[in-house]
Amino acid sequence: MEKFLDFIVKAGSLDRRVIFVVIALAVMLPLFFPLGLPIRPTNSSQQVYDVVEELEAGDKALLSFEYGPSTKPEIHPMAVALLRHLMSKDVKVYITCLWPDGQFMAMEALDQVAVNQYGKVYGEDYVLLGYRPGAEAIIKGLVSNIRKVYTVDSRGDFLDDIPMMVGVNQVADFDFLFSASAGYPGTVEWVQYAADPVGITMSTGTTSIQVNEVMPYVQSGQIKGILGGMPGAAEYESLIGQAGIGTSGMDAQSVAHVIIVVFIIFGNISFFVERRRSKKY
Amino acid sequence: MKDKQFWSVAGIIFVLFMIYWVAGHPFFVAERAVMFWAIMIVSGILIYSTRMAKRGEEIFLRSIPGLKAVEEAVGRSTEMGKPVLYVPGIMDMDQVETVAGVVVLGHVAKMTARYETSLNVPVSRAIVMKAARESCRESYLIEGRPDLFHDDMVHYLTDDQFAYAAGVNGIMIREEPAACLYMGKFYAESLLLAETGNSIGAIQIAGTASPSQIPFFVTACDYTLIGEEFFAASAYLSQEPELIGGVKGQDYLKILAISVILLGTLFNYFHELNLISWDLLGFLTVQ
Amino acid sequence: MFMKRQLPIAIAATIGFLTLFGWFVEEPSIKSFVDDDATQWFDILASFAMFLGALNLLKMQAMKVIRQSRGWQYAALAIAGFSFSFIAGFVMLGAYNVEVTEFGGSTGVATVLANEINQDLQSTRNILSAVPAGDAYIIDSPYFTEGGAESVVEQIVAAGGTAEIHPAEWGAHIATRGSLFNWMFRFIFTPLSATMFALLAFFVASASYRAFKIRNFEATLLLISGIIIMLGRVPIGGHISAWFIMYIVVLSLVAGVNTWLKNRTYTLVALVVGLLGVTIAGFITGWPVDQPSIFFLPVLQDWIYNNPNVAGARAIMIGIGLGIFASSIRYILGIEKSYIGE
Repeated sequence: MEKFLDFIVKAGSLDRRVIFVVIALAVMLPLFFPLGLPIRPTNSSQQVYDVVEELEAGDKALLSFEYGPSTKPEIHPMAVALLRHLMSKDVKVYITCLWPDGQFMAMEALDQVAVNQYGKVYGEDYVLLGYRPGAEAIIKGLVSNIRKVYTVDSRGDFLDDIPMMVGVNQVADFDFLFSASAGYPGTVEWVQYAADPVGITMSTGTTSIQVNEVMPYVQSGQIKGILGGMPGAAEYESLIGQAGIGTSGMDAQSVAHVIIVVFIIFGNISFFVERRRSKKY
Repeated sequence: MKDKQFWSVAGIIFVLFMIYWVAGHPFFVAERAVMFWAIMIVSGILIYSTRMAKRGEEIFLRSIPGLKAVEEAVGRSTEMGKPVLYVPGIMDMDQVETVAGVVVLGHVAKMTARYETSLNVPVSRAIVMKAARESCRESYLIEGRPDLFHDDMVHYLTDDQFAYAAGVNGIMIREEPAACLYMGKFYAESLLLAETGNSIGAIQIAGTASPSQIPFFVTACDYTLIGEEFFAASAYLSQEPELIGGVKGQDYLKILAISVILLGTLFNYFHELNLISWDLLGFLTVQ
Repeated sequence: MFMKRQLPIAIAATIGFLTLFGWFVEEPSIKSFVDDDATQWFDILASFAMFLGALNLLKMQAMKVIRQSRGWQYAALAIAGFSFSFIAGFVMLGAYNVEVTEFGGSTGVATVLANEINQDLQSTRNILSAVPAGDAYIIDSPYFTEGGAESVVEQIVAAGGTAEIHPAEWGAHIATRGSLFNWMFRFIFTPLSATMFALLAFFVASASYRAFKIRNFEATLLLISGIIIMLGRVPIGGHISAWFIMYIVVLSLVAGVNTWLKNRTYTLVALVVGLLGVTIAGFITGWPVDQPSIFFLPVLQDWIYNNPNVAGARAIMIGIGLGIFASSIRYILGIEKSYIGE
């Protein structure tokens, strides 16, 4: 018994490298050997889905891409899933980017969904306005007059020459706003300067860490639903019935979370044994 | 009521505004009057507290362990002969947290000048580099040690979030500072920095107003200044009466905010029961 | 002295007051300044200031290389990376599109194109025949160098077709698919950024292992809510039966009874009653996984997220908002001058 307790106390001060190796295995193995755990959508993801479901063909959706390569694994799957949902309903998609990296992310998502999957026509079904520096100033500019901020789109074509830009002059002309955001500028700025003052229906997708910060806006009704990180992306994929990277990553995330919980419990057992021993002596 | 000058000026501003309002308030966005008065009341409370502190009123501030530990941390670095690493966040000077971080840097620089400890300040923005340099230079000058200051103490790494985190981690692993101070606006790189600092055995003190990063700093750092404590850091470290008065004023504002929340809840409840017709929430909502 | 002390404070005060009270003024030029120009001035200043940062970085790294300090090879790599991205963005266009205007019926042209687009001859012919009459065929990937594009054009011309080079526009070249800058972004910058972010997964595990210890009541609360959220947030949480959680709750309560009363009999009675009670209730209800919902992890997780979590987040946000306002007022009024070095 004493030897067993000794082992527990020693194992309690595990080298962090051991933890790293175990976590690496916990994440990698389910990617090669999927468990196929069913995904259960939460209320906040369901809310986003319901809002998009209410849109009709020809409605206009403004999407803002505010993430980069580092947060791509969390947010790109939800952006792709949302684009799939919008394009399957023939909603017109307008894309703006407040982060320079966001433009590259948007191009990738559009290639995958608009071009390769749905065969949509640029300028008629979707348009990529591109990146503009200025954070809140860009949002305020879009609220008052889009052409103040954008004279040309990302390809260099004049906005007035793009068929789907006819009659679209400000944020109020859109039916839906979605911010795929990993930080600043992002969701909070869109709520403060666009969604709340203008009254446009807004949903958002953020990294898991940011959900905390954005939740008060969801609860107050200023944002209709939130997709939180990769779980949120997986939930949305299950709602639209098209599994993607989000879904495939959930097995790995599940196993990793379980492993972390096991480590925590183990660490506490070791902590208690050590404390009891030191009290004894 | 103790400050006659303050109340006279406040009274004059009020009277002038009333005259302006009665005269038709040209150019004024009337829908935002509530916000205007809120700003005036809040500013008034802060200015009043500042003035009272300057006049010598005794103000009690509870101790914040994180701020007490700053001098300890610098002392520890001095004893171990290792540098102090100061990270002023990853955002630019347009963020109030970054300005607060640069302000605290000034105080830390005074300590490092006094104890002759080397200070390393890697920054993520060029404007922050210039501001931080000036702040350090002045601090070293005030402490009478301009010879110890050199420009490269504050140096630019990169604007990119994770490249910056990689750079700072590299500095930590190579130079092994004894104290790591993170004061400013952080995002996801906060845990990368804090865990690396933990792995080298440095004492870590963090201060940020980014709500999502506070839990990471609390978990990984020895001391964390949460939200307002970080903004009050300058007052604590300098012990200047005006700044301490400002902190006291913030406490009054909190009491005001709590009262408004409680009253608002009550009024809203009565309004929904149709006991009163006045919608306080609608009145307070400004767009 | 005036330039270093009073002038910066005067500028901060003027712009601060203008921006703060400009929101209440219905005058077009002031509104335009407050809404648009003020933030854009800052962006313009920050963009020019980047030169200072870049020069400082180059100077620091160059000194390391010249002095051959420890790790100077990494400094050389940093300078090389900087130079490469500078060249890809500002010097080399890196995006030369080849447009084939005439190719009909020519096997030679299809052979050349098959090599360039990495397809077999038949697939290339199919692609070319799908191009509408009169339209040109643009090779998907642009060429990094003009020389590379010219060489392909020469091959096409020699094979009997005609082709032109269309370089991308300066500015748009960084977003052009397949350009040198885009290649650098996709194959160097993106993996590096993603790797750094991925490190968080490992660091979260090691931080949790180290920090989540039951030292006191608050730490216990943190631990329990952390575990509930970690498990409830992922699909596996939906597979953990509420009855399993109930058994854990019973065992924890029994441990509490034992600690409080320090009596073996009471502990045993509590254990037996608790376990029996849960078991009987389970048999009666048929052991549904998600009932009682109060013990179902995803429901618990949702409740924690939407209630105590949001309450705490709101309180912190209000405090931070007040702190930001108080700090800003101090800067605008010139009470706080440390940021300019005073």
